[in-house]
Amino acid sequence: MKSAPDHLIHAAFDPVTLAIPFFVLAVILEVLLGRFGKAKSNYETRDTLTSLTLGLGSTFSGLLTFGVPFAASLWLYQHRLFDIPMTAIWAWVAIFFLEDATYYWFHRIAHERRFWWASHVNHHSSQHYNLSTALRQTWTGGVAGTWALWLPLAFVGFPPAMIAIQKGISLVYQFWIHTETIGRMPRWFEAVFNTPSHHRVHHARNPVYLDRNYAGILIIWDKLFGTFQPELDAERPRYGLVRNLGDFNILRAVFHEWIGIGRDLVRQPRHALGWLFGPPGWSPDGSRETSAQLKAEWAGRHGPTAPPAPSAAPAVEPARP
Amino acid sequence: MLYQFLGSAIAVALLVALAAWARIARPTPPLDEAAARRILADEYPQVQPTQVWIAADAAAALARAGEAALLLRRHGDGYTARKLPWTDLAAAKVDKGRVTVDIRDIGAPRFTLAWPADAAWPPEAAA
Ligand SMILES: [Zn+2]
Ligand SMILES: [Zn+2]
Repeated sequence: MKSAPDHLIHAAFDPVTLAIPFFVLAVILEVLLGRFGKAKSNYETRDTLTSLTLGLGSTFSGLLTFGVPFAASLWLYQHRLFDIPMTAIWAWVAIFFLEDATYYWFHRIAHERRFWWASHVNHHSSQHYNLSTALRQTWTGGVAGTWALWLPLAFVGFPPAMIAIQKGISLVYQFWIHTETIGRMPRWFEAVFNTPSHHRVHHARNPVYLDRNYAGILIIWDKLFGTFQPELDAERPRYGLVRNLGDFNILRAVFHEWIGIGRDLVRQPRHALGWLFGPPGWSPDGSRETSAQLKAEWAGRHGPTAPPAPSAAPAVEPARP
Repeated sequence: MLYQFLGSAIAVALLVALAAWARIARPTPPLDEAAARRILADEYPQVQPTQVWIAADAAAALARAGEAALLLRRHGDGYTARKLPWTDLAAAKVDKGRVTVDIRDIGAPRFTLAWPADAAWPPEAAA
């Protein structure tokens, strides 16, 4: 067991907290651009209230659930393989790529497996796509345990403070891309970075766009692992869930999929594995629709417009027991 | 901590007020049959409704495709749709010009449609 000075354990600053004034100003700017017809921007009053309340609530649920992940990462860091200095540039370059790759896989699992989808679904629950949508952050991620994916970084030897700061930087980066005011960024930027255009695809419920563009900061992971889909001029994104929620109730947005899982487990406990870890929309009799089924139907009618994604295909196949 | 919460709550209230003032929600003109069919075609592309009924307030619609019913309702400036067996409609609560259909879906547990008190429910298919 190795000890460490406090500044390696507790981050000296939180990028997300520092960015809150910028979030507020950016939302104001986006609303004003829409109001005066300078850019495409739609806000609906109750939808905005739900988005902002979900953001506020997630910071409180984060306070309640950060204990276990923090303790786990601290323990692993005390048994770390290497001593990685927080002051070295190479270490920041390394964690930038490693954290971003971790985010990609977290986000992909959060869409492809129902148990983790249940904690991520509220981020996608709005039919709008504006900067306030970005604030629909998870309330139940601490319970769902996806934070475990970041633990290997601490075990390798990245200080927990460094991991926390890089996670914060990623979250702040992902704020500004939740907008329709920006069409496309320069080509070189679109090629490397996650952008408003790429993330619109991610939030869209058009079949061709489902389960695509999981990127955090860099879009390269989607291109590498076969989940990239460019925004198509002929296919305007429609936002939200495949089956949208019936009201603006924040508790429904946060808990509906968990309750749905609970009901399915009570009704058919022998299909527990499928209900929990099958793709969202899986059912034993195939009466519901998974993303893979919706995409296949769409492709049957339109022909695939994106190159096939071999590495993605098995993961989204409905797992029939 | 308390001050932080109060500050955040005030910021939320101000931003929501700004969004309300701006009036930049998407336009939602009253539904007609063509509009309802267009939305349902996005929601359930593989279902071809044979008949569509528009609710009295033009904010909701019902469609029939064989043994299936499609319900569509506006909420905010968006729409929510669900598919259910046509026979389930008979169990809906009909009261004072409103029909409430319970759906076994926690995401949208009930659909309320403005339905004239003297009109049949479920509606009869055209001959
Ligand atoms: Zn997502
Ligand atoms: Zn997003």
